[in-house]
Amino acid sequence: MLQRRLTKAILMLPVLVYTAFSAGPFLWTAVMSLRTTDEIYKSHYGLPIPAHWGKFYTAWTEFGYSTYFRNSAIVAGTAVIIITVVGAMAGYGFARKRFAFPLREPLFLMLFLSVMFPPQIMILSLFQILIKYGLFNTLPGVILVYAATELPITIYLLRAFFAQIPQEMEEAARIDGCTDWSMFWRVMFPMALPAVATTFILNFIYFWNEFLYAVIFITKQEIRTLPLAIQFLVSDQYQDIGMLATGLMIASLPVLLMYLFLSEWFVKGMTAGAVKG
Amino acid sequence: MHADPAPGTQALAAPVARESIRGSRPRRPWGSIVMFLGPALCFYFAFIIYPVLVTFFNSFHLLRQDLGLSYEFVGLQHFKEILGSDEVFWRAARNSLTWAVVAPIVDMPLALTLAFVLHSKVPFAKFFRTVWFTPLLMSYPVVGVIWLWVYNYDWGMANLVLRAIGLGAYAEAWLANPVTALPALILVTTWMFTGFHMVILLTAMHTIPQEYLEAAWVDGAGPWHRAFHIIIPLLRPTIVNLIILDFIGKMKQFALVWVMTRGGPMRGTETVATYVIKRAFEWKTLDLGYPSAIAVIWFVIIFGLSFGLTRFLQRKEALEF
Repeated sequence: MLQRRLTKAILMLPVLVYTAFSAGPFLWTAVMSLRTTDEIYKSHYGLPIPAHWGKFYTAWTEFGYSTYFRNSAIVAGTAVIIITVVGAMAGYGFARKRFAFPLREPLFLMLFLSVMFPPQIMILSLFQILIKYGLFNTLPGVILVYAATELPITIYLLRAFFAQIPQEMEEAARIDGCTDWSMFWRVMFPMALPAVATTFILNFIYFWNEFLYAVIFITKQEIRTLPLAIQFLVSDQYQDIGMLATGLMIASLPVLLMYLFLSEWFVKGMTAGAVKG
Repeated sequence: MHADPAPGTQALAAPVARESIRGSRPRRPWGSIVMFLGPALCFYFAFIIYPVLVTFFNSFHLLRQDLGLSYEFVGLQHFKEILGSDEVFWRAARNSLTWAVVAPIVDMPLALTLAFVLHSKVPFAKFFRTVWFTPLLMSYPVVGVIWLWVYNYDWGMANLVLRAIGLGAYAEAWLANPVTALPALILVTTWMFTGFHMVILLTAMHTIPQEYLEAAWVDGAGPWHRAFHIIIPLLRPTIVNLIILDFIGKMKQFALVWVMTRGGPMRGTETVATYVIKRAFEWKTLDLGYPSAIAVIWFVIIFGLSFGLTRFLQRKEALEF
């Protein structure tokens, strides 16, 4: 018994050390987000007493975070809706024998391989293309690029799920006179909701946090997304650590709060692509 | 598209007449195929395949941004220059490769160790799992700023810990020293990704049938034996997958560098991705052709190495069973 307890205690040691490493930097930032820069420069590791909750209001109203937050919400929200609808339809189209056509399987293989494409292979020509069609420096341009880049992995995951749903369901519905279209939205899409929700969450986080495309395709301040805004704020207001920390929390809180309530879904979603094999 | 409000019905009804002539094969429901796959394929070709082809095309041209993106054919000149005499490219390639090789070597054993510990039913396992997973949910700029502070010479956490355990002599301006800057950035990605790898490995461990472990226990196998001779071999496909994903991810690394060091000091953290962007938008050459050629080379290298790595790791697996 004593030996067992000793083993447990020894096992806990790496767990606690790693937890300190993992949570430390973020907790420190969270504490700083409630302290003023003056307080922080006096003592970098002090406690937030008194806690300046008003800083969140100041950041929101005076430092432009409301604009950046709104831009991020528009971009991530619209892109995730487009990709969910388009991706689910395509996932279903690739999953069913009924919709087979000669080049479908090579096409799917190509789609799957493009998950590996480094963004650099597209980004410079996308820049050129967006300029040509007047989409450069606009939110719709960014939204379209976002939705397209995550499409392959979304289709891949949803196809796998649709393929598992037995065909009898559709045949019954078809005999009842349903068209492919109405059957998909009334029967198949609702059945695939667990997988759809998973890709929805996965894509939302990705879009909310995306930086590379944003940095190239957005140069106007009023349409900056949060990750982009932070990059600029860190060079412009390098000294104002307190306010920056508040901004970091504003940028991270939506995803972190979602995670707090839906952590099982998150883990499922973010691991779905990797456990295959 | 055609005016038929319900293409599906048409697809069902039409074949009846023809089927008797052509035999048993039902006609393809093209209306539905276009409806389900059309939008995705349009997106895919317009925003992925077409740009990739344009990049290949551009890599053989001089494409001056100051001259209204006019094309001038230069053949293989960019490729010769990049591979032959571009020292910045080779430096960036070495940094990216170092990152891609070192990260999995550090992340995987750490993630496996943590997964083993949680697997052996320590208390609050779920809480730890939740905490360790969190860093991955923040954007690179957020992570970058936090770690800029962690590495601050005077008051950062890194030096604070060193001073606290009596290693203050090793305190360092981690990001200002060309030797330590890249390792410092690699540690940040370890911080972000180890929890994620751990969660996946733990999920895979839970799928191992309990009988295997019990049988080993009856045979008198200790925890080390169980870990190395039963669990790790069974997890091999998952581990291989994670290593390749980690490798590819690090070969593409851009954002963290862009926020934290911009490739400096003295190109100590320049990656191929940051070099492509700098070369396209910050250099006075104002040419999109040359960076496109770099992107093409790197694209080929990523694909080649990923396939090579997959085959190498999988062959080893085949030998063992």
